[in-house]
Parts: sequence; C-alpha cells; structure tokens
Amino acid sequence: MAKSGLGCEPAVGSLTASRKREYKVSNRVHEGKRPLYAIAFNFIDARYYDIFATVGGNRVTVYRCLEGGLIAVLQAYVDEEKDESFYTLSWACDIDGTPFLVAGGSNGIIRVINAGTEKIHKSFVGHGDSVNEIRTQALKPSLVVSASKDESVRLWNLHTGICILIFAGAGGHRNEVLSVDFHPSDIYRIASCGMDNTVRIWSMKEFWTYVEKSFTWTDLPSKFPTKYVQFPVFIASVHCNYVDCTRWLGDFVLSKSVDNEIVLWEPKTKEQSPGEGAVDILQKYPVPECDIWFIKFSCDFHYNSAAIGNREGKIFVWELQSSPPGLIARLSHAQCKSPIRQTAMSFDGSTILSCCEDGSIWRWDTVS
Amino acid sequence: MASKASSSASECKSEPPPPQQDGGDGEGNCTPSDVMTIIDSLKKQVFSDRCTYIKKRIEENKQKLSSMTQLVHNLSKVRRNSSDPSSDLDANLLSRRQDDALCTVNSLEQSGGEKDSGSCQEESSYASSTVLIGNNFGGKNGVRLIKLLEVPKLPPYTTWIFLDRNQIMTEDQSVVGRRRIYYDQNCGEALICSDSEDDFVEDEEEKKDFASNEDFLIRMTIEQVGLSDVVLDTLAQNLEKNSVDIKGRFENVLKRENSEECDKNGEAEADVRVEEAFVEKDLEAALDSFDNLFCRRCLVFDCRLHGCSQDLVFPAEKQHPWINSDDGSPCGIHCYRLASKSESTATTNSHMAHEHEEPTHSAASAGAQLSPRKKIKGSVGRRAKSHQSESASSNAKVVSESSESDMRNNQDSTSPQLSSSPSKNKLRGKCGARKKTNKRVAERVLICIKKKQKKMIQSDADSIVSGSLVARDMKLRSDTRNDNKNSSSSMTNKIMKSPTIRNNRKKTVQQLDNMNPKFDEAEHDDICETSKEPSATDGDESERKEEFVDENICKHDKADSKPWKVIEQSLFLKGVEIFGRNSCLIARNLLCGMKTCVEVFQYMNNIQDNSTYRATDGAISLVEGHGKVSELRTRSRFLRRRGRVRRLKYTWKSAGYHSIRKRITERKDQPCRQYNPCGCQSACGKQCRCLLNGTCCEKYCGCPKICKNRFRGCHCAKSQCRSRQCPCFAADRECDPDVCRNCWVGCGDGTLGGPNQRGDNYECRNMKLLLKQRQRVLLGRSDVSGWGAFLKNSVGKHEYLGEYTGELISHREADKRGKIYDRENSSFLFNLNDQFVLDAYRKGDKLKFANHSPDPNCYAKVIMVAGDHRVGIFAKERISAGEELFYDYRYEPDRAPAWARKPESSVSKKDESQPSSGRAKKLA
Repeated sequence: MAKSGLGCEPAVGSLTASRKREYKVSNRVHEGKRPLYAIAFNFIDARYYDIFATVGGNRVTVYRCLEGGLIAVLQAYVDEEKDESFYTLSWACDIDGTPFLVAGGSNGIIRVINAGTEKIHKSFVGHGDSVNEIRTQALKPSLVVSASKDESVRLWNLHTGICILIFAGAGGHRNEVLSVDFHPSDIYRIASCGMDNTVRIWSMKEFWTYVEKSFTWTDLPSKFPTKYVQFPVFIASVHCNYVDCTRWLGDFVLSKSVDNEIVLWEPKTKEQSPGEGAVDILQKYPVPECDIWFIKFSCDFHYNSAAIGNREGKIFVWELQSSPPGLIARLSHAQCKSPIRQTAMSFDGSTILSCCEDGSIWRWDTVS
Repeated sequence: MASKASSSASECKSEPPPPQQDGGDGEGNCTPSDVMTIIDSLKKQVFSDRCTYIKKRIEENKQKLSSMTQLVHNLSKVRRNSSDPSSDLDANLLSRRQDDALCTVNSLEQSGGEKDSGSCQEESSYASSTVLIGNNFGGKNGVRLIKLLEVPKLPPYTTWIFLDRNQIMTEDQSVVGRRRIYYDQNCGEALICSDSEDDFVEDEEEKKDFASNEDFLIRMTIEQVGLSDVVLDTLAQNLEKNSVDIKGRFENVLKRENSEECDKNGEAEADVRVEEAFVEKDLEAALDSFDNLFCRRCLVFDCRLHGCSQDLVFPAEKQHPWINSDDGSPCGIHCYRLASKSESTATTNSHMAHEHEEPTHSAASAGAQLSPRKKIKGSVGRRAKSHQSESASSNAKVVSESSESDMRNNQDSTSPQLSSSPSKNKLRGKCGARKKTNKRVAERVLICIKKKQKKMIQSDADSIVSGSLVARDMKLRSDTRNDNKNSSSSMTNKIMKSPTIRNNRKKTVQQLDNMNPKFDEAEHDDICETSKEPSATDGDESERKEEFVDENICKHDKADSKPWKVIEQSLFLKGVEIFGRNSCLIARNLLCGMKTCVEVFQYMNNIQDNSTYRATDGAISLVEGHGKVSELRTRSRFLRRRGRVRRLKYTWKSAGYHSIRKRITERKDQPCRQYNPCGCQSACGKQCRCLLNGTCCEKYCGCPKICKNRFRGCHCAKSQCRSRQCPCFAADRECDPDVCRNCWVGCGDGTLGGPNQRGDNYECRNMKLLLKQRQRVLLGRSDVSGWGAFLKNSVGKHEYLGEYTGELISHREADKRGKIYDRENSSFLFNLNDQFVLDAYRKGDKLKFANHSPDPNCYAKVIMVAGDHRVGIFAKERISAGEELFYDYRYEPDRAPAWARKPESSVSKKDESQPSSGRAKKLA
C-alpha cells in the first residue's frame, strides 16, 4: 500500500456535481434475467461508433443507439453451452477491417464472433479458467489481451488465432487477474490487475518479434512458439484489496479496488532495474457505495470523462483530466436499484449506458 | 472550490485539531500555537505546491493523450475507407443491420409509431431478422438468435511454468505473513475476509521515513522560530513522529546541505573509484562475485536450486596438478620452447634480461602500456596484503589527492573510444587480458565506461561552445566541467609543459579568450595523434599520472619496467595449481592476452631462482610470489601422499555404512534430512554439521575423502545397481560416478568410445534422475477427473518415468499455502525432507497432473541425487503405452482430504470438493 506522506497527497475530487453536463434516462431495455456483466461501444471502427454490445449469461447481443433514445437490437448470439456465463467483451477487427466481437467468460473459452458474417470466427481454448476481461489494442485491433482466473494474461492474434504470449510465471499474478489494458501509445506495454491486490505493468518489447511473427504464421496455431513473459516491469501495490479495473490514462494508470474510489497514479519505473519503482498517487475520484468487486468503469474515446456505476444502481460521471477532479454528474433513477457492473460511454460522452445485475440496460443522454 | 474542500479535508486528516489560536504572545518565546500557525502555513504551501505539480503533470499528460486519441480516431476512420471498396451489400451484415435499424425506425415513425411493447420470449421466438425497437421503457427487443457451436472446455488449471529441475522459492513468493482475501464462490459477492487463523496480520508498521517535504517543513519551521523543545514537540505531533527523531533529522538536513556541493565532486570520484577497483584487485577480490553467484554443486551461475551466496566450502584435499601428455611441440610463436631454442642454452639470468625487454614487443600491448601506473597500483595492492589498513588509507589518498588527474585519465580512456576504433582496441587491450579469465570484471569496466559516456553526452549537450571534432568536443567539455570545479591554475602551466595535457585546452580556450590560435592548431594535431596511437598517448598519460602519484605515495623505482600485476600473479599461481609448471597451458588458459608463454616461463624460473638463491633483483613482487608458490608446492606434495592413503583405506567396511543403514531403518517413519555440505578441513568430528544433522558427508563437503561420515558409494557390477543389494539403491540414493566404483554409462551408441570401464561391462541403472532419462509423459484429459498424465511408451516394472519437480518451500510456507490450496481443493504439495516441501502449483512438471489412486500403477520415491533430494516417479507394474498414470499420494492419514481417504473407492483428487482440515501433502 503506497502511503502518501506530506506533500505527496493526492488531489481528491469533491462529490458535489458540477453539472457541466446533465443526463437523463432516455431508454431502458430488459434483456433477460441473467446479470449483464459487460457493455461496450465499438470504438475500433468509426462506422460503428453508435453500435454497442452486451454480454450476460450465455448471450452476446449487439445493439445500435439511435437518435431520440432508441435502442435497436442488431444481432443476438447465444452459446450452445448453457452453463457459459460471459463476463467480458471487446470490439476488435480483422486486418481487413471486418468487425469482430470478442467475448469470454466462465468457461475460459474466448469466442471471436465475426459480426460482419454473423458467424463464429474462432474460439480460443487455452485459458485454464474463466476469462475476466478482454481488451483490444487500438493501434493493432486484431490483437487482444485476456485476463483470466488462471492467473495469466494472454495476448492473442485474432487473425491467425494464435496465443502469442502468456504473461505469467515467476513474476506473474498470484491470484485471479481481473482486468487488463493496453497502453494507448506504447504498443509494448500493458497493465493488469487482480485479486492479488497488485497492478502489474508488463512490457513485450523483447518479445515483439513473436507478435510480428504471429501475423505471418501459416502453420497450425498450436505449433506457434508461445512465449512466457515471466517478469513484469513494475509491480504496484496501490490498493490493499482486489483490484478489479485498470485503465491507462496516457502514461498514468487509473485503477479501482473495492474501497469506493478510483485512483489515478503515476508508475515511476526505473529503466535499469525492472521490477523496482515507485507509485505517485496523483488523484482520487470517490465513488460511494462501490465496495463490491467486479464493477468496472469506462471512459469516452478521448478519456475526458469516466462513468462508473455502484452497488445501488447509481452512476458517477467524473471529469478525468482536470485537477482537482470534478464530478460532472451523479445519475440515479428510482427504478434502477441493482448493482451496475459496467458502463459504456459513447464516443463523445453524450450517451452513457449501464448494464445491471438484474439484466437491464439503461440509456442516459445529455440534455442540452 | 473543489480544491479548497479537498485541501481542508486532507489537512484535517494529517494533523490533530490545532490548539486555540490565542494571538501572538511574545516575540522571543513561541507557544505551541505560534509554532502551529507557522507549521500550518508551511503545510499549506507544501500542499499548494503539490496541487500545482499535479495540475502540471495532468496537463502534460493530457496533451500527450489527446494527440494519441486523435491518431486512434483517424485509424478507426481509415478502417472504413479501406474496407469500403470491397463492401457489397451482404459483405458486412453488421453494416446492413445498422442501416436496417434506421429504416425500421423511420418506417415505424411513418406508420404512426406503432409500438411493439408486447412481451417477447427470451428464446428464439423471432425467426425473422426483423429489427424490433423498444422505446422508452418499452419491453424487450428480439432478433433471431445466432447459435455459437459448443466448444469443449478445458479442465481448470492455473497457468504454470515447466520446471526441468527443482527451484528454491524466492523471497518475494512467500505467502507467509501476507494477508490474503478470499471470496466465497457460493455467496459470490461481498464476502471478503482475511485469513486470520494463525498469522498475526501485522499492522503494517511501516518505517516512517522522512520525505523531502517533511525535511522542508522541519527546516523552515526551525529556521523561523528557532530550535526549542516546544517546536520539536509540535513538529513531532504534526508529523506523527518522535521529537528526538525530528531533531536528529534536522541536523542531518543541515549536514546534507553543507555537503551538497561536495557531493557533485564525490559523484565523479565514485566512478573513478569503481574503475580503479579492478586494477588494484587481486584475484580473490575479483572472484568475489564468482564466489557469490557460482553454484559449486551445479556448476552454473545464479543457481535456482541452491541459490546465491552459498557457504563457501573449500576442499581440504586439493587435486593434483593436471599432467598432460606433452608432445613437446611449441604452443605458439611465443612459446618458451622456441625462445629457448633461439637463445641456445639460455640461462635464467638471460631469461630475466629478456623478460625486461620483451614487453615492448609483446603482443599484449595494454599491460605494458599501462605498466607504470599499474605498477603503482600493483604495489599498493600487494602491500594491502600485509598492511591492509595502511594501504587502504594510502589508496584513499591516491584517490583523493590525485582525483583530479584521475578524472582526466578516465575521460581520456573513454572518450577516444567514442570516436575511433583503434582506441577501442586499446580499451580491449586494457581490460581484455582480464576478460578471458574474469569476464565480469571486464563487464564492469565496460559498464562503468558506458556510464561515463552517458555522462559525457549529457555534459556535451548542456554546454554548446565552439566545436570542431565531436569526440574532441566531448572530451573537452567534460573536461571543462571538471576543471571548472577544480579551478586549478596549475593546469595552465602544465599545458605549456607537455602536449599530452591537451585536455585542458578547451578550458583555456574558454577561460582565456586570447588563446593563441597556433597553439590551438598544435593541439589539434595532437588529438589526431591521439586517435591514431592511443597506446602511445595512454603511455604518456600514465606517465603523467605517475608524476602525480609519485609526489604522493610512490617511492618505487622506475627501473622495473614490466612488473607482474597482482591479478596476473594470482592467476599465475592458480595456473600452477591447476596445470603444474606448464607455462604453455598457464599462458594459454589463464593469462591469455596478458602474458606470453615465454614470459610465464621466465617468471616461473625467476621465482624458482629466487627460491634457491634468494636473489634480490629489486622486484619485491617476485619475492612474495615465490613465497606463495613454495608454500603451494609443499602443500601439494602433502596431498599426494594423502591421496595414496585414501586408495588403500577404501574398503567395503568403512564406517560410513553403519550410519547409512541406520538411517535406512530410521527413515521408515521419519522424513529424510536435508544435506548441507560441511566445511570441515580435517576428518569430520563432533563439530561437523553433516554429522550433527544426521546426514552423510558428500562429495561437496570440504572434508577429506577419508572422512568416516562419507557415503562410500557402491561397488556393484553385474547387478547394475537395481536392487537393494546395491548400497546406493538401498539407501535411496542414485549412484554417482564420482563416488561409486563401477558405475558408468555409455555415451550414445558407443561410436564415440566408451568411458574407462572399471569393473565389468555393465551399465549402472541407478542414475536415471541424474541423467534425466525420463519417459515421455503426455498431458491429457483424465478418465477420472480433470487433467491426467499419460505414458507415451510402454515400460516395465520399476522403470523410472520422470521427476516431480516444483518450488522448494519451507514447511511453514507449505502450511500457509496448503490452506490456500485446500480452498481450491487442489494441492500440489509434496513432502520432500525435513526442511523442504515441493510445491508444483505454479512451477512443475507434467507429472504433477497424475491423479491419486489407492490402487496405483506408479509410486513416488524421494531419492538423493548428488546431494539433493528429488522425487522420482516409477512404474509399479508394467504400464502399456497410453495408460493414465496414478500413484498413491500417501497423505498422512489424519490430513488426507475426503477423496484420498482409504475406505473410499473414489480415485480422483478433484471429484469431491470437501476441503480438509489441516494441510494435505503428498508423501513418498
């Protein structure tokens, strides 16, 4: 736990909403009884900025946000395995631009759905236990990383179906990995966090040849020389409980544990001695009643604001890149009472979607 | 607004409520409240500084990030463009559906917004692909469900790393004393508790170090109100620290500030010191990291099994010098044989004379070039042996007093390297000699040089003065930097005196603007010369160095132009130890690039002469060297005699056996004992730690081979060590060709020639673990539960299948981990011996997946292999290809989990999920 001494205190945001933007519920969709664990807009392809998908139970559903608060179902996929419970999804695309939808869950199988043909593209078997999060590399959107209960983070090539790297081993996570994210500009860097209360920053710089090789691999994917990345460049102990969501904010890291706040911190790694370093906690974004794990926040495309739900169905919208942080809005609705597992912010942040434990999707739009 | 709120919040947190503000009392005396106000204002200042800092950082980050997101945004647009040309209508269903949705909306609106808020069934009640729109608070939407074909999932496992051999746990992997949070699978959420059964959760009593901001606070407060108890107490209260600590800290802060300026110089000196370190080092010091990192048991660096910094065990018996079959042909152009031929009946004296002349022509350039300097260093080092303290101080003197010159020298040696390749050679010559024998030293030199290069590049960057040659500039600038600091006027004098001190030119250029252009030119030439003949300049350099050093400490005469450096001498001595008096081998293997065969030969003879005549040639070093050698010789003679004794006394009935047998019987109910080599220099007595620990002495012990506690190995031949008749086998040990009499194995198909066959023509069959002669094991879905291990090829009874490898952890650690694993109901712990437990959870071998069965086809056995306990898995019966492997985990009865308890017929280890009380560990 990084202790903040005198003069190292973070700037803590105040919970009085600035009401820079106001949101109003414009729609509610009830998908089913099973909890919805993830919801995400497609930021990979500009054509589909208004398309989002949800996962819950053994279902993956694709929707479109239309004007006037309308939500249209476009596609619905169902895993034949009834026991499957999807926990995460991510939009991606093939090297020719075909839109992919990647989902994973309790069975540990990563499903790559070709949304262009409405067929399964590939299924990645390899994780030894449930998949808790999948993220897409925005600069190379046919690369995804997955975080799993099997204590590993894996890098996959969607195009060839190869597991390129496994981030686990001697310096790996010591319990379930709950969240992972690609650095926005440093293509080699990822951050992962999990139930061992740490955030680990990994570099695949030395293994990049394998990433390149994976694109041209013509043999069976199983024959690919998958490499283990055993040592992270940095292990940060920022929290003292499960860390269930982490995102890069430029070179800084946003992460949240179950202690009712999102923390923005700067990893100060030393180039010479990997593994060592210090954490400088810069800002804190309080989120009341957010003390259960597996609640994830989301940011708009430009990382200007973040939205996070809480245990009681409320949503907090924070201005991320102002100091001290400002709360834009606090969204609540009388009928929205169950925990919000994840939110999705549209490209410009004008629409916020939330998916709840009770299987409902709420749409909030800005009012001008 | 927000900032105020947060600032007050954090202040409240970090300090107790300030005592009432009762105005300014007196001027001189300050009340706590006065102090408090000052502290508060200072704190506010610190805090606002912090706020500005954060604001700045976030603003910077924002700039960076916005350009990044812009790029990604453009990329996402490009995707559309690239795929557009090829998009016919049904190429992309997502796009089509997207458009469909819009059409439907429009049509809905046209048709007066007919609502479809009726109840939709979850399952595929909608066969068509129509898009249904739910509007505000409407019901569900539905579309045709697209089925994803089922894919068989894998049995659960935790990602693990394959281990070829056991590894000892690293400190950071320990779970002891760490809080771990569990969640209940059944309750799902919100159940986060700490395991508080036995380990006291330490209240994270973190060391309260003083941050720079606290220093600031302390200093400013004391400066403003003076140093008094009141002030200290208030400060202590504020910083949640002891007032004594505060006072101490304040003094420290003051001290540090004073020394800050010196620090800068000190930094430069530190580098100098590093480099000089290896020059002065003798072999022992140079081997320091070797001793720490090299595992003498596994013969590898950074051994993962035995760890670093093992106790050093030096054998009481030294091996005889190696006697090779000398064919009498010269080893190279510098071979002493050639030299002696050409000089016909060469006397020792002529050799010596030769020796003095040789260096200039010798191939090993660097040693010679640097010699004057090295000599001094060498002598210092040598003296260090006898008068350590004295020489240490004198060393320090060298460093401090001649630091200025040293610095220059350093730059000299590094900067040419940047520019010209010949200088690289020079560098290599300089350290290359040592490189062969001690790479690490060379590496360190390089690192240090690299560091310096970096520094110089930096200095190059910040001072942009006139520049001609880059390399020159660099050199000069770094020089100026130093010179400015040192500000010596004597330098200018020296520039006039000798052209070698070209380094200072720049400084003079800078300082004295009226510098003669002619002079400049001359210096330019000089530089060219430098790059061409780095050796020459280096020689100059070192000569100049000598001037400095001479003034200070050096009282040695210059007559001895080519002395042997300390490290060379010690390498030579080592060489004599290894190769005997064979100059060819010594020169080639140990002194390669430093000394030629001829030189070694002469040196060797010289020493001998000295030993005979006690001749005084002025070379102190030789005298000392001689002492060592003669000592060594006597020792080796002594050893040889001992060696004979060993052979005679080698009998079946040596005492070693009794203890072993006893242990075999004892072993039944007791775990084996971990072996740690003893360092006994004579036969092991009561103090021997092997004896105390109840283990045999092994070949890694320091004790002589006649030690009664040694395990003697076996003499088996025909039986091939496959039954309990073999003492090794009976003691659950593998045979060791170093110890056993007749145990050997052939290499390959024998075409390369077998080893010296002692005894009969039978191969030992009790070395499978050592030789890694394992069977191919396959990992697959178990017929019973989860994963299973399968055999690829069929094997016979008692055949060795493979090793159960894992992390070696202590029993305490195992208890803690066991609890964690019990919750997951999968345990990979294996009791190894009294000290260690094997944990294959995250690191191991495929055999860790072999399931438990009360009626198994394999068995596990802890075997001593070359001093280490290892777990081998053997076939209990004939196993045919493709069969799944099972063995009895042999859990301690009271600790066994439900599925492994005897009366039950269940065979899997995962099918029943009832966590056991206590820890379950496999037993061999």
